[in-house]
Amino acid sequence: MTSLLSVRNLSFGYAALGHTRRPVLDQLTFEVAQGATVALMGANGAGKTTLLKVFAGLLVPQRGEVRLLGRLLSACSRRELARSIALVPQEISVSVDFTVLQFVRQGRAPYLSFLGILQDTDRIAVWKALELAGVDHLAERRFNELSGGERQRVKIALALAQEPQLLLLDEPAQHLDIGRQAEIFSVLERLNQQGITIVAAVHDLESARRYFTQGILLRPGLSPIIGPPPEILTSSAIQEAFELVATEAHHGGTESLRKTKALKHSAT
Amino acid sequence: MNAAAAGVSITERIARERSASGLRRTLLLASGAMALLLASILVSAVLGAVHISTHSILAALAGDRAALSSTELTILLQVRLPRIVTAGIIGAALSLAGVLFQGLFRNPMADPYVLGTSGGAAVGAALGLFLFPTASILGFGAAASFAFVGSIVTIVFVYALARSGGKTPMVPLLLAGLAVSIILSEASAVLIYMGDEISANARNLSLWLHGTITALGWSQIVLASVMLLLGGLLCIPLRPVLDLFALGEEYAQQLGIRIEVARASLIIVASLLTAAAVLLGGVIGFVGLLVPHVVRLIAGPEHGRLLLLSSIFGASYLIVADTVARTVRAPSEFPVGIITAFIGAPVLLYLLRRSKREYAL
Repeated sequence: MTSLLSVRNLSFGYAALGHTRRPVLDQLTFEVAQGATVALMGANGAGKTTLLKVFAGLLVPQRGEVRLLGRLLSACSRRELARSIALVPQEISVSVDFTVLQFVRQGRAPYLSFLGILQDTDRIAVWKALELAGVDHLAERRFNELSGGERQRVKIALALAQEPQLLLLDEPAQHLDIGRQAEIFSVLERLNQQGITIVAAVHDLESARRYFTQGILLRPGLSPIIGPPPEILTSSAIQEAFELVATEAHHGGTESLRKTKALKHSAT
Repeated sequence: MNAAAAGVSITERIARERSASGLRRTLLLASGAMALLLASILVSAVLGAVHISTHSILAALAGDRAALSSTELTILLQVRLPRIVTAGIIGAALSLAGVLFQGLFRNPMADPYVLGTSGGAAVGAALGLFLFPTASILGFGAAASFAFVGSIVTIVFVYALARSGGKTPMVPLLLAGLAVSIILSEASAVLIYMGDEISANARNLSLWLHGTITALGWSQIVLASVMLLLGGLLCIPLRPVLDLFALGEEYAQQLGIRIEVARASLIIVASLLTAAAVLLGGVIGFVGLLVPHVVRLIAGPEHGRLLLLSSIFGASYLIVADTVARTVRAPSEFPVGIITAFIGAPVLLYLLRRSKREYAL
């Protein structure tokens, strides 16, 4: 398999009052294969969202490089990036009363000419995206009146209208009930079958095990563990990554993590 | 996919989409707005100290040269029509600027003067009236010319104040605009009270700060039309940018927008339009704030249609308001800004009450 995304020695830290803080991402190196589904895991603040934003070109790494099909991200224009990589953010506030159709149309922005007129190809791409995300029946509804699960799928539809090769999602199942979570992951499976590579920040390790072919477990101060989720999510790896003591207790086949005590960690 | 929607082909959907929200509907709405504009022009031409009948105006338009007396013709061509056109240009410019600023700030409270333009215009006008009362630039009087310069200088100053590290964050920009506007407005008041007596200049200034439309010469009108046309044309490429801004900064950025370039362009175009309006008629409130809200209710939130219809509707609104301003207590006049506020504020309150759900742009 060829690699779609290659990350070399990537470091990023947020600047705080003129000083560069301890990097959130420190010397990361890994590859994302074309057609893979990758679960980004790690504790809050481990850098999952940051990494997604770097991939989307919203943040520029201080050191290291990211290449998309061999091409440096920093060498691509904003519009070029938007045509290959789409990010579905966790939260969004839409300040106007867009319908779902009007909202998803915005995904065509990177394809529009100077005058911004939608062509037939754009309209077709929008409807395909709505169908693929399973929200075509919501087209006339107001975005701000949708339920959480519907909203999440509509955001995915906007990303699909960009016709990306790489789809990035920040906690797509956050705040959703298990039924809606399953819906989201089945949409993602369908997209992956269409050849779209998926990288998602995932909170729930069980979903990571079940739905993703590759996992990246970010650990504070240590290099990440990379591999198929069932293999890398050992209790010791989880302990380190989430700074807790995990006990694997099996209740009717489900594994639960019991937080017994937080390990001491020193702030730098 | 639900069962009802299945089986509908994409071609059919696009056909439906076009008829519901396509160009045809925009043209239909625009023709309605144009009809309203023509009606307001006609009403404004008829009303005034000298009544000219609708019938004779229509007959003259149809080619009957004898329909209007020469006095009536002079009144129409040299007094009423220039004033109607001036009001229309101001209304269109302020409404476009209102849409641009509300979209830029993602804030329904934003109006054309949000970056301190009104304060800068006030100080400029005061300086012009008190120091160089007889000055005139390109046929515009002292107050107008100095106010134009004052508003441009203020916007540049506010923008520079808010800028830090190559970025222009929106909240500091709003606050800087607010603070500078207040300081400058009070400074213009100081200029008034420093005089030994409340002079005619002070009264002129006060009139001007509430917006006063006068019949300008045609050369000034041409100049102002060029500014409006330029601003209007520049709105065309900014239209998709405004739609994307509605999704938030990061979304806009990841959809291919260069945020700082887009913001600077929006500020430049909106400021040009506001300054043009200030040049023609002083500070007129409640047009740029209200018109976009009303049009959104009719035409929806997409900015292409919103900009087009706001400009036409804004022109009609100010023509009507100015007609009221000059006829309600004829032969003396009210500043038009008082009328736009008296009509606009209750309309806005009514809209707020009517839209029962939480108000979105």
